[in-house]
Amino acid sequence: MHVVWLFLYPIVALVVGVLFLGLSRKVMARMHWRYGPPILQPVIDIIRLFSQRSASHGRLFDLGIVLSLAGSLIIVLFLPFGDVAPLSGSGGLLVILYMMLLGPLGIALSAGESANPNASIGISRKLMLAIGYELPLLLVLLAFMSRYNTISIVEVVRLQRATGWSIASFPLVVSGVAYLLILPAILAIRPFELVQAPQEISSGPMVEYGGSYLALAKVQHALSMFIGISLSVNLLFGGASHPLIFLLKMLVILMLGLFVNAAFPRLRIEQAIRYLWRWPSLIGLVGLVLAVVIGR
Amino acid sequence: MTVELLLGVALGGALLTYVLGKISPGLRNAFALLNALALVVMISLLYGQSFERALPLGFLGLELSVRMNMLSWFFAVTILGIGLLSVIYSLVYMRNKERLDYYYATLLFINASMLGTVVAGDLLSFFVFWEMMSWSTYLLISLRGGSKAIFAGIKYIVMSLIGSLTMLVAIVSLYVSFDTLSITELAGHVQSTTMGQALFVLVLFSVTFVIINALWPFHTWLPDAHAEAVSPFSAILSAVLVRKGLYGLYLLMYAMLGFSMLGKLAWGALSYSNVLAWIGAITIVFAAFRALMQNDSKRILAWSTVGQGGYMVLGVSVATNLGMAGGTFHILNHCIYIALLFFVAGAIEYRTGGIRDLDSLGGLIKRMPVAFVGGLVGICGLIGVPLTNGFVSKWLIYKSLVLEGRPFLAFAAFLGTWGTILYGYKFIHNIFLGQLPDRFRDVKGIPFTMAVPIVILTVLIFLFGVLPGIPLSVVDQVGTYLGFESLNVSIWGIPSETGTLNVVNLLAALAVAGFIVWLVLRAIGRSVSVDQDDTYAAGAAIPSGKYHYTVGFYSPLYRIVGPYVRDFVDAFFLKIAGWTGSVCGVTRKIYTGFVGNYVMYIILFLAALIFVQIAWSPW
Repeated sequence: MHVVWLFLYPIVALVVGVLFLGLSRKVMARMHWRYGPPILQPVIDIIRLFSQRSASHGRLFDLGIVLSLAGSLIIVLFLPFGDVAPLSGSGGLLVILYMMLLGPLGIALSAGESANPNASIGISRKLMLAIGYELPLLLVLLAFMSRYNTISIVEVVRLQRATGWSIASFPLVVSGVAYLLILPAILAIRPFELVQAPQEISSGPMVEYGGSYLALAKVQHALSMFIGISLSVNLLFGGASHPLIFLLKMLVILMLGLFVNAAFPRLRIEQAIRYLWRWPSLIGLVGLVLAVVIGR
Repeated sequence: MTVELLLGVALGGALLTYVLGKISPGLRNAFALLNALALVVMISLLYGQSFERALPLGFLGLELSVRMNMLSWFFAVTILGIGLLSVIYSLVYMRNKERLDYYYATLLFINASMLGTVVAGDLLSFFVFWEMMSWSTYLLISLRGGSKAIFAGIKYIVMSLIGSLTMLVAIVSLYVSFDTLSITELAGHVQSTTMGQALFVLVLFSVTFVIINALWPFHTWLPDAHAEAVSPFSAILSAVLVRKGLYGLYLLMYAMLGFSMLGKLAWGALSYSNVLAWIGAITIVFAAFRALMQNDSKRILAWSTVGQGGYMVLGVSVATNLGMAGGTFHILNHCIYIALLFFVAGAIEYRTGGIRDLDSLGGLIKRMPVAFVGGLVGICGLIGVPLTNGFVSKWLIYKSLVLEGRPFLAFAAFLGTWGTILYGYKFIHNIFLGQLPDRFRDVKGIPFTMAVPIVILTVLIFLFGVLPGIPLSVVDQVGTYLGFESLNVSIWGIPSETGTLNVVNLLAALAVAGFIVWLVLRAIGRSVSVDQDDTYAAGAAIPSGKYHYTVGFYSPLYRIVGPYVRDFVDAFFLKIAGWTGSVCGVTRKIYTGFVGNYVMYIILFLAALIFVQIAWSPW
């Protein structure tokens, strides 16, 4: 069973991520009073892209995208999905934090070799945005690790089953709020959609990708969305004992994200960093202090 | 094999290199290489030995001694290993430069004196070797000449001298109290000393070691010195020389004072270890943001050296066996990847005619693939990407901080790592990625002897990242020597009750996933390799090199953090230096050095006396 999940779970994550993309396009369209594309549109797109010929710009261009997708597939194995958590024993939250780096790093290297200035601008924005949301995110994660006194995410989920969702428990609710405030930035949806910004920098890092490369990049994007939402469910909303319940919780968070996405226009990178370093960081800091003080 | 012989070969080799250089440059290079290689062989033969021996010669009735143990061995092996690679690298890098006899002799001499500091068995010989190290380093920092290099050298030597003097005071204080300078004997005596003296000695020694380890607020000499030195020597400076400060801290905190004494030196939350840890944390964050704002390839690396020193201090000051292993392992890892990165930056400098400015490079990946791979792997190690060596040591440090209930220190460490990611990517992108400027169309790859150290270090980063058990077993022995509980190290990583690290699982998963994705890309995707301009301009002719996005790579971020991360300590020190300079300037106007002036002063003074006597006749 264990070995089966090891291979099945990334595929499930992939499918769910891609379907989430389709769903979000449909929901967004309905919010805009449009009919919108069918939910399966991203699947159709990916199949079409794979059937097209594509241009490569060198070995790093290929390797980077492979590294990015492979890295994302592996983080999935670290995140508990219901009771399934194939690799969670190999390092815990600290490893997840670091593995989340491989996705953007791969894309950054690959897009960097394409020598398109739009790609470089997109990557520099991505990295700046990342340090923007990592600052509050680290405060939040450290509050969780201090409160539960563990670095293992499985342990965090298990303890929540005993004591209730962490977002409903006193000191952690503060950190939970900070986390929800930065979630759009982690998911790279509006108002933090400035990395790709199609109207401004022609999709940024994606600009040189075509055919199968674009397909893989899209899949990676879908996976990173899955990872972001799954992390929040595990940390804040108590995980789940069954995969289906877990998916349901993920869907709710996705919908919340889509409301934000539909309502706000895109920020400039400076505004984004200023926002992220102001209220979410302050709340995150208060949360961490509370978690440390009350934990003692 | 004895330590005396090792020291003799190291010091004698340095002198002989200079003499041989007067006969023939080829002979000198061969001998320098052979000497460095012999030292590496000798130190590996000394593995696992532990002894202390008095030297036949004493000094003013004081016994001088040398010793060897795991702590000394660990530092000695990094010194000699990097020394060897640096000599190999120098063979081509330094060719056709001036004063090479002097260069090789001083390089080997610095290595010898660093070796001396770590094998010294008493504080007097420790001090002597320390001074030899400081002075010879000064000579080599300024080797290139020019006002910048001289200034960097002066800055270094002034701070280093202040450090030496405080250390000398501490050593004298210890000698006066206990009448011995042997480290082992002092360790016994110190336990009975008063709190006041323990604190006095601790603070004085710490100033020395913090200066040489370039922790905030005494970091100011490092960026100048490392950027201005020649690259093979920058590698030695960054990789091993600054870590002599940590060796000193190990010696002072754990070998001499010990836990019980350190534990007593605390007033509530204010304890020595806490202060040290917070200095480390400030260093990490400050250096990360300063590095972000640099535009010079070697200056970025220099600031990263400052920051990484903070991680080691964090690990050491937590004082659990995990933290200690993390700190010690990070010394080794840092020494590997920073030497590699300086070699890469040097190679770029060598092939592009001395360009270090990150705004004017770009697209060199196709021209210098070996340098690119070395640079990328080095940066990954620096960041601590999983499966590189830096990951394991940083994981140990983070974990010990989290489990010891130090989340704010852990936060500083994590934030520093994100800063590292930003400047690390900038380093890679601005040199190797993006568009290739026209004037670098004909740049050649790295010469063979410069590639050898780069390849060796690249392999080591992966080896220690995937099989961390190999170096960790040595690191663990250093810990047990200093009195820490042994870690349960397996070759794949660290199993423990509170969270396991299994790097091989990671490797296997990444390899399988990567292979599958690659297969999909190969099997389904059909791609043609096209030139960079092809898709960008749809085949139309464009002025190439014009659309390279490097200048102000993170400018929106600079605008936000720039006002807050000024190096005001450096400005303060420079202001003090300026004041001292003007006071000396005024003094120089009086003491001109001309006999005539002095005669005039005397006559004026006598005239005044006579005038006073005539006018008021007081005598």
